[in-house]
Amino acid sequence: MKKSIALIVAFFLVASLILQGCSQQAQKPAEQQEIKIGAILPLTGSAAATGVKLKYAIETAEEIINGEHPEINMELAKSAGLPNLKGAKVKFIFADHQANPEIAKSEAERLIQNEKVVGLIGCYHSSATKPASQVAERFQIPFVAGSSSSAALTERGLKWFTRIAPHDGMETKFFFDYLKYLNEKFNAGIKKIAVVYIDNEYGVHAFQMVQKTIENYKDDGFELVLDVKYPANVSNVDTEVQKIKAAAPDAIFHASYIGDMTMFVKKYKELNVVPKVVLSYCGGYQDPQFVKNLGKDADYFAGPNATTSALFSKMPDLAKINEIYKKKSGVDIDGPTLEDFASAMVIAEAINKAGTTDPAKVMEVLKNTEFSAPYFVSGKIKFGEDGQNIYSASVMTQIQNGIYEAVWPENFQTKPPIPAFPEWNKR
Amino acid sequence: MLGQVIISGVLIGFVYSLVAVGLTLIWGVMDIINFAHGEFLMISMYTAFWMYAIFKLDPLLTLPIASFFIFVISFLTYKLIIKKVLDAPGLTALLATFGLSLFIRNLAQFLWTPNYRFITESFVADKKVAMGPVIIGMPQLVAAFGSILMTVIIFYFVKKTKMGMAIQATALDRDTAKLMGIDTEKVYAVTFGISGICVGVAGTLLSTFFPVYPEAGALYSLLAFVIVAFGGFGNIQGALLGGIIVGLTESLGGFFLGTQFKYAVVFLLYLLVLQFRPKGLFGW
Repeated sequence: MKKSIALIVAFFLVASLILQGCSQQAQKPAEQQEIKIGAILPLTGSAAATGVKLKYAIETAEEIINGEHPEINMELAKSAGLPNLKGAKVKFIFADHQANPEIAKSEAERLIQNEKVVGLIGCYHSSATKPASQVAERFQIPFVAGSSSSAALTERGLKWFTRIAPHDGMETKFFFDYLKYLNEKFNAGIKKIAVVYIDNEYGVHAFQMVQKTIENYKDDGFELVLDVKYPANVSNVDTEVQKIKAAAPDAIFHASYIGDMTMFVKKYKELNVVPKVVLSYCGGYQDPQFVKNLGKDADYFAGPNATTSALFSKMPDLAKINEIYKKKSGVDIDGPTLEDFASAMVIAEAINKAGTTDPAKVMEVLKNTEFSAPYFVSGKIKFGEDGQNIYSASVMTQIQNGIYEAVWPENFQTKPPIPAFPEWNKR
Repeated sequence: MLGQVIISGVLIGFVYSLVAVGLTLIWGVMDIINFAHGEFLMISMYTAFWMYAIFKLDPLLTLPIASFFIFVISFLTYKLIIKKVLDAPGLTALLATFGLSLFIRNLAQFLWTPNYRFITESFVADKKVAMGPVIIGMPQLVAAFGSILMTVIIFYFVKKTKMGMAIQATALDRDTAKLMGIDTEKVYAVTFGISGICVGVAGTLLSTFFPVYPEAGALYSLLAFVIVAFGGFGNIQGALLGGIIVGLTESLGGFFLGTQFKYAVVFLLYLLVLQFRPKGLFGW
């Protein structure tokens, strides 16, 4: 009995130490001029692995804005804080939506009402961004989404919403153009397409986009032979892969996240499914953990990416940003993470340009300014009427020998694409 | 094609069974629903993973270590938490295990980050058996056989050994068992421990082909609840059959109705069973 009491006491001591650490952070003296921006991310739950990295990326942006980084060629990097607001510091307040749209909504309300944030960014999951941005619309606060890619988000006619990432409609077109390129240049003979997607906002919408987009590419010989929708939480993907194997598609489009995507690849190998091309929407494939978990088996998979470490040597500013990011996270910055970094930079830059935190003025700047973005291959960001960034920042990447190589468009190529999978036992 | 679907369903079903056996024991004997069951499974997967990552040990070799480790954790959970709430109203124990599950899950995320990890090298990795058109992955095959073996061992332990009989007696009537001189206190602790061994074995076997991450146990424990309801509370054979039924329902339902419905079919079946056989298909 005494032992167990001692254990419990020890536990509370440890817990209180941890909590103390947290509260010390929270009680840091408030600086005079501090501009609060809310960032709603999946910090726990099924996508927490990604959420934590997004948090590092936003902290990187905070460090670049608030510190002096003359070595980086960006407006807010040179001086400490926001120059037009007397060097005011920016503080990102993080909230966790646990991949749950309901929580995303209530966290958005809390951040606006209690924390008095002047803008919101996030939420990675399109399904969470949707309700959170509706709250922002109701309170008339600017929302800049980073990596959420469902096209539906910018089809709602919201006035206070903008998005950095290319939406899945743009990505789908990008996929078909890439396949066309492979067919024309390499005579790849890709015709039959299967879509494999997770049963949530992101997956379902990606599939709808394929259905819609393929109509424009019928003359190129593309045909949709199969669609496989799978539950958001799966214990195995046996049945799914058996269906894919039976349909024997040339190209597979994946709208998945890292955990399920990895299970699929393992099953492809086990059941010897050998398509010519596998293209992934912004989700699992883009996470460098994909290569780490699968090793050689990750080779030949492809997908659009806002960046890849192979590009760092070509883009010095990006390399410097990555240096700061890598110190925090231990890994290189990847596509979705860079998009969320961009969302943090853009909202701070808009506030700086407006010279005020007045939401209406900030929104006006967001809608009418072309932002410089030396970290993207497009080099700039400009939001259209619907809030969508009109410059697609993506390059098609393919994993070759464990490295994400930029394979298309040709002017950013770090390696030419390989338009066929070898047999699994011949790798 | 159909053969492949059925075999896949049965193989994963056996693993489900073993997870459910642990749950059904506690439920049957102590009348407690252990919400942290899935989290014990997750810890066992992490144990296997870290043994592999740090000492380069094959999961199949670390199986005894992982199971013993989970046995100890379960045993301590009983001594430190469950024992205190055993005589409180039913809801208290339920809330205690629920709280414990949240604590373990978040602790895992804090300690090991939420990354999805895989054990890429093991005796069984990348091996497969082809029987005509049907391909069976070696990890799944070994997991299924391991699960069957473990389930049979637990079954005989409960039916044939002295301790097992004490467990059965306590399950039937705790007070009478106590009057007959059975140390029900010990029986409970051992039951909890055995339940831990079940998930310890299941988790290690799963880790050869399923990603290891803090939420990994959640879906398995949810399915285990369904299986326990199918099989009857405290019924080990029931859990074995229930597991196979769930595995088959999942893969056949997914194949014929669309993969998005594979769990929906399982839960529909669960609702039907609850309606018509509230004590489970094989309950007593």
